[in-house]
Parts: sequence; structure tokens; C-alpha cells
Amino acid sequence: MNMKALEIIVGEGTCGIAAGAPEVIATFKAEAPEALVRGVSCLGMCHQEVLVEINSPKGTYKYAKVTKKEVPRILEFLKGSGEQVTENLLLAPNEPESSDHQYLTLQTRIALRNVGQLDPTRIEDYEARDGYKAIAKVVSQMTPEQVRQEVTNSGVRGRGGAGFPTGVKWGFAANQKSEVKYLICNGDEGDPGAFMDRSLLEGDPHNIIEGMLIAAYGIGATTGYAYIRAEYPLAVKNFGLAIKAAKAKGYLGKNLFGTNFSFEIKVKEGAGAFVCGEETALMASIEGERGMPRRKPPFPAVAGLWGKPTIINNVETLSNLAWIINKGGAAYAAYGTADSKGTKVFALAGTIKRGGLVEVPMGTTIRDVIYKIGGGSSSGRPIKAVQLGGPSGGCIPESLFDTPIEYAAINATGAIMGSGGMIVMDSKTCMVDLARFFLDFTKVESCGKCTFCRIGTIRIREILERICDGKGKMEDLDRLEVLSRQVIESSLCMLGGTAPNPVVTTLKYFRDEYEAHIKEHRCPGATCKSLITHKILKDGCTGCTLCEKSCPTDAITGEPKVAGSYEINMDKCINCSMCVEVCKPACILVE
Amino acid sequence: MSSALEAVVDPQLVDQWIGQIGKDPSATVPLLQAIQSQYGYLPRKAMDLIVQNTEITGRQLYGVATFYAQFRLKPVGRHLIKICHGTACHVTGADRINTALNHSLNIHDPEQDTAENGSYTLMNVACVGCCSQAPLMVIGSEVFGNINGAQAQKALRKHARAAEEVLPKPEKQTQAS
Repeated sequence: MNMKALEIIVGEGTCGIAAGAPEVIATFKAEAPEALVRGVSCLGMCHQEVLVEINSPKGTYKYAKVTKKEVPRILEFLKGSGEQVTENLLLAPNEPESSDHQYLTLQTRIALRNVGQLDPTRIEDYEARDGYKAIAKVVSQMTPEQVRQEVTNSGVRGRGGAGFPTGVKWGFAANQKSEVKYLICNGDEGDPGAFMDRSLLEGDPHNIIEGMLIAAYGIGATTGYAYIRAEYPLAVKNFGLAIKAAKAKGYLGKNLFGTNFSFEIKVKEGAGAFVCGEETALMASIEGERGMPRRKPPFPAVAGLWGKPTIINNVETLSNLAWIINKGGAAYAAYGTADSKGTKVFALAGTIKRGGLVEVPMGTTIRDVIYKIGGGSSSGRPIKAVQLGGPSGGCIPESLFDTPIEYAAINATGAIMGSGGMIVMDSKTCMVDLARFFLDFTKVESCGKCTFCRIGTIRIREILERICDGKGKMEDLDRLEVLSRQVIESSLCMLGGTAPNPVVTTLKYFRDEYEAHIKEHRCPGATCKSLITHKILKDGCTGCTLCEKSCPTDAITGEPKVAGSYEINMDKCINCSMCVEVCKPACILVE
Repeated sequence: MSSALEAVVDPQLVDQWIGQIGKDPSATVPLLQAIQSQYGYLPRKAMDLIVQNTEITGRQLYGVATFYAQFRLKPVGRHLIKICHGTACHVTGADRINTALNHSLNIHDPEQDTAENGSYTLMNVACVGCCSQAPLMVIGSEVFGNINGAQAQKALRKHARAAEEVLPKPEKQTQAS
């Protein structure tokens, strides 16, 4: 086959780069200099990185987990002189779709429609996919009221977590009489375990810019801020490039499309504060202050950034707007349930076979997302729970996996939709340790303004620490419940108002695990260091010495190459489990 | 921490940033980010220059510098290793990367985050947003995903060889911590 006829597309988002995409691209370019080799944004199929799609005259092939080693073999096959690289093959023409590839085909992609399909640094790629057509239509054919009505008709609600109807929110700012109004894109994705905003900003930045333009027109804003986490360097870079390209093409700036509508966007890099996801804290941060929330009302729509009417929309919310304008609000509302319209993006991770970004219509059950799309557990152990909504959310046990994904039903479980972080946990995860992990996080991230949040989170964490150490008492469980309620009720913003959720939900669904720590000094998830021991099983040990080499405290001794000779000295062992990770025959027992 | 890592601040550079970014309070975070990206931390001398030459007060500047997780007031080693402690990394074993690298760099004091010879600094970060590659760490700008403790040590040794850094000969910890 003529190599000139090949188009080789390699996923080059942050995940792809982490998995070695630059090396793979360089190898393809070196081995097939005539072919067109392109890097595109991440497809959200993170578990399969590095992902390579090859368009050839025979059809489209997709390969997963490609390293530079497979490159020559893949090219040999395409030339017709070698065997198919079956172990990496994900999709081939005229062959039944693999279950791994169904990960993509079972999704409904609206927000993510362009991610992984285009080169985010080329505005032409976005234009070729109906880019900037929505804003052209809005500016030339619609009034701001009509734009707001269309968005209200779509039923889209704030995807940052709060779930407030977007069109209604815009109305509050539109009704304000002010020369200056601001639109802020909230890309301060602080929830550990969520990465949809990163993927959208780095993979489809023009879509976010177009969304901001539509929103600005709808409320009458002339200046926009994109507040992006500094931890996302590629997102900051790609978004900055996109702004430049949009300006050059006349999509940003003064008197756009020959009308009197003008809009400019400034990028503000966040500096690492979870609380800045809260609207008033985010505005304080842009103004150059400590990011501390203030009392509402007045709401930002009335008096926000520098006292002017301000609307703050999440990245994912904005990413739906151009689609809604192009296809109509009713088309968006056709997806979902009565309570929640449209689709929602989830960041699926943890002990899951196929992790990455998943966009599904509202109303899909948690079970379908985890088992049908995600492929179930990656560890072989049964899945016990899913954590939804990060530090503000909660743990949903396996028994409730038939819950449909919609705001009201998720809230009823005690968790929240949040920004869409979905962490799957198997039987080896300790739920008390997990609650402690989240309180560790919120304790540090509390801005310190409200006493109950500032001190309450520390006290809750102390109790959890005590239980993890096997020193808890049964009264502690009641104390946790009381304290959690007090923190929730006495905090100004939703950081404190939701911080105890991980504790409340694990106590509700996994009380037996708390009791096992307290009454039996046992950690059912085999995680809490004070309550576990490591033991080498004589039968499995091959005397390979790997455990001895890995041990940071010299606790493991034995005769090299003598099977069954290795032992752990309990006085020296710190239960770090590094030996477990390296043991090939898996003969180190943790209980 | 050895004072040898203290940065020498160039006043002209600070002036240049003030000229580019601005003097009013809304410039606080971007100015601090400019200083930190140059020196790896916020040297006292640079902070003083900001207070002297802008409308930002010392209260505002230090208030902001101590509020955000990104900023550090202590000098940083020649190379920074970020260990992700997001939820996915936590449940898949991020702690073991810390144990392993602390061991490789001979860091035992919880207050210490930089190797004695100033080569590497370990920093825990909230979430890199690469959850499907958990657990992971970032050395410089290179991301290492799906790694266990032993693999983290191997990646560090490889990096040290390329960067011509000497890793300390690990002393084994004597007691459980």
C-alpha cells in the first residue's frame, strides 16, 4: 500500500502524553515519512492510551495501548507484508465491534462531540465541524431573549454541580441595568477525580469560546474571564492559542459579525484552592484576594465581579451551548428525564476496566455506566461502591446501582451529581479510610471563614483517624453524626455545607465497616495500616528476592532462590505494602 | 534545608513583571505566579520588591501567597516531583509512591520535602486530572502513570542518571513510623 494514502491519528491529550504518545508519534513519522501523522486531543478513552486511529483505503483501524514497539508491525500489516497486530486491535473494517470499542458507541456525545476528533490547535478543524456557526446565527438572527429562551427550552442545568437551570440564571443578569457585565467560565476543576473540564479545555477549546460568546450575548456581557486551574498546563496553553486564533478570524473582539456585539476573553490561572470553585470565592480570587466566599444575596448576577452583574458558568455547561443553538433546545431536551434534561459527562476511574470520559443521557443507571460502558471491575474483585461528586459527594453502595443518573435521584441517596467524578471501588477499599481521605482534603481546603467548617472538619478527621487506628469507641459514631449535621448547617458556602457528605454516606451504607474497626480492631478493606499484617505464604514463595529489595525497613529476610525461605519481621514492618506490589506469585497475604 | 538553594533575585526582572502584569491588587496572583515560575518558590527579596513598587500591601501579598496551594515560601530542589493524591490515586496506592521515593531520597522527617543535596523535592498535589492512569507522579513535566512504588523508584533513578543528579545512599529506617 502507498504510505501516502495513510492518515495516522494519535491521541495526544494529557493522558495520552502520560502513556507515551509523543514517542509513538515520533516513531510513526520516522517509519512512515510519507503518511500524514496528526496528534489530536484525547478521545476520553484513557484506559486505552496510546490510542491510534489509521484511515487507509481499506477502511479505519483503531489500535489501543500502542507503544513505539508495535509501530513497525502495524505499518508492516498495512503495507500488506505482515500479520495484523491483534493484541492491540480495537476496531477493523468489516469485523464485529469489540466490547472494548463499545465503550465509545454506547455513549451519547454532545458536550464531548469534538473531543478526540480534531486538532485543538487548528481553528479550521473546529470550523469544519460547524464551528462558530451557532454564534453567527445568534448574532444575526436572534435577540438575547430568544437565546435565553432556547437555552431554557433545552432544560440544561449547571454542570458544575449545583444544577441550577442555566437559562433562568442568565435572566437574572440580563435584567440588570449596567454598562458593564461579566461572564466567567469556571474551569477551576478542583474535585480530585474529575477531569472532564480539563479534557474539554485542552481538546475542544473553540467550543468553550463559542459557548462563552453565546452566553455573553444572552446576558449582554462584553468581557469574559476563563478561570483555569494552573495544574492543567496543556489546557491553559491550548485555550490561549484558541483565543488568539479566534481573534485573528474575527470571532472575538469588537463589532463581531458586523454588529455592535463585542466580546473579549481574558485567561486567569487559578492557584490551587478547591473553594475557588464556589462563585463568590472565584470572583474574590480574580480580584486578587484570598479566595474566600461571601454571603449571598446579593447574588453574582446582581453584584458580582467588581460589583458588576456577573454570570459564572461551568466549562461543561458552556460546551453544550453551540449544539443547543444549532440543533434547537427541544433536541437537547429530548434526551434525559423529566427532572434532568440532556446528557452528562462522567470521569470514570478507580478499579474499573475501561476508565475515561463517559457521556450518557440523563436517566441512564449507574449500573449501565459501570458495567456496560466501563466493563466492570479491573481487579477481579467485586465492586463494592462508587464515589460520586468528590469531596462534596458521597458513596453509593452496589445495592443502589440501579439508581438513574438524574439530580433528584442522586441527591436522594445522599451523594450529589457534582461535577461528575465517578470513582469505582472494589472490596479492597476501606470506606473509613476513604472518608478520612476526603476530610483530609476538605480540612486543608476550608478557607477558614466559618468556625464549624474550619474546626469541625478537623475534629471529624481526628475521630476518623482514631477509628482507622483501631482506637475508636462506639460513641464516636454518634459524635460523627452530630458533628456532621452541625458543620452542614453552620457553614456559609457549599464547601462546608457538603464536606461531611462522605462521612454521612459511608456511615449510612457501610456502618458495619466502622463497627469492625472499633469492635474487632479489623479493617475489612485491608487498608488501615494499624490494623493489618503482612505475611509471606510459604507455598507460593519462589525465593526471587524482589520483596526483600523493595522493603524500605529491611523487615524481610530469607535465602535467595530458596523457595519458601522468606519471612517478614513484624517488629520492623511498617505495613507499607510495597512488597505486595512487586511479588510476582502474589504470595504476600494482607489481612 | 540548605540555604544554598536560596535564589538570587534580579530586581530588573521583578520590575519587568510589574510593568507587564500591573500594579493594582488584581495583579497579585499573576505576579506571584511569575515569581514562582522563575524561582520555583517565592523568595523574600522578590516579595519585598513587589510591596515597594506596587499598590499591593504586604498583608495582601502574604495573605494571598499563604492561601493558595500553588505557592511555597521555602526554596525548592533542582527538580520537582509531584505525587498525585486525587481520589483515584489514593485508592490505587499513591501512598506507596511516597514511601518509596522518601526512601530513595532518604527523607524521613515529615517536615522535610527536599533531599539533603538539594536534588529533588517531593510535593503532594490534589489531582492532576489523569485519573485513568492512577496512581501517577510528575517529574518536571513528564508524567509517569500506572506505577507502583518500585517503578517510581526506577523512574527516579533513570531521571537522576539523565540529569546527572546523585541520589543519596538510602539509610534503612530503623523503626516503624
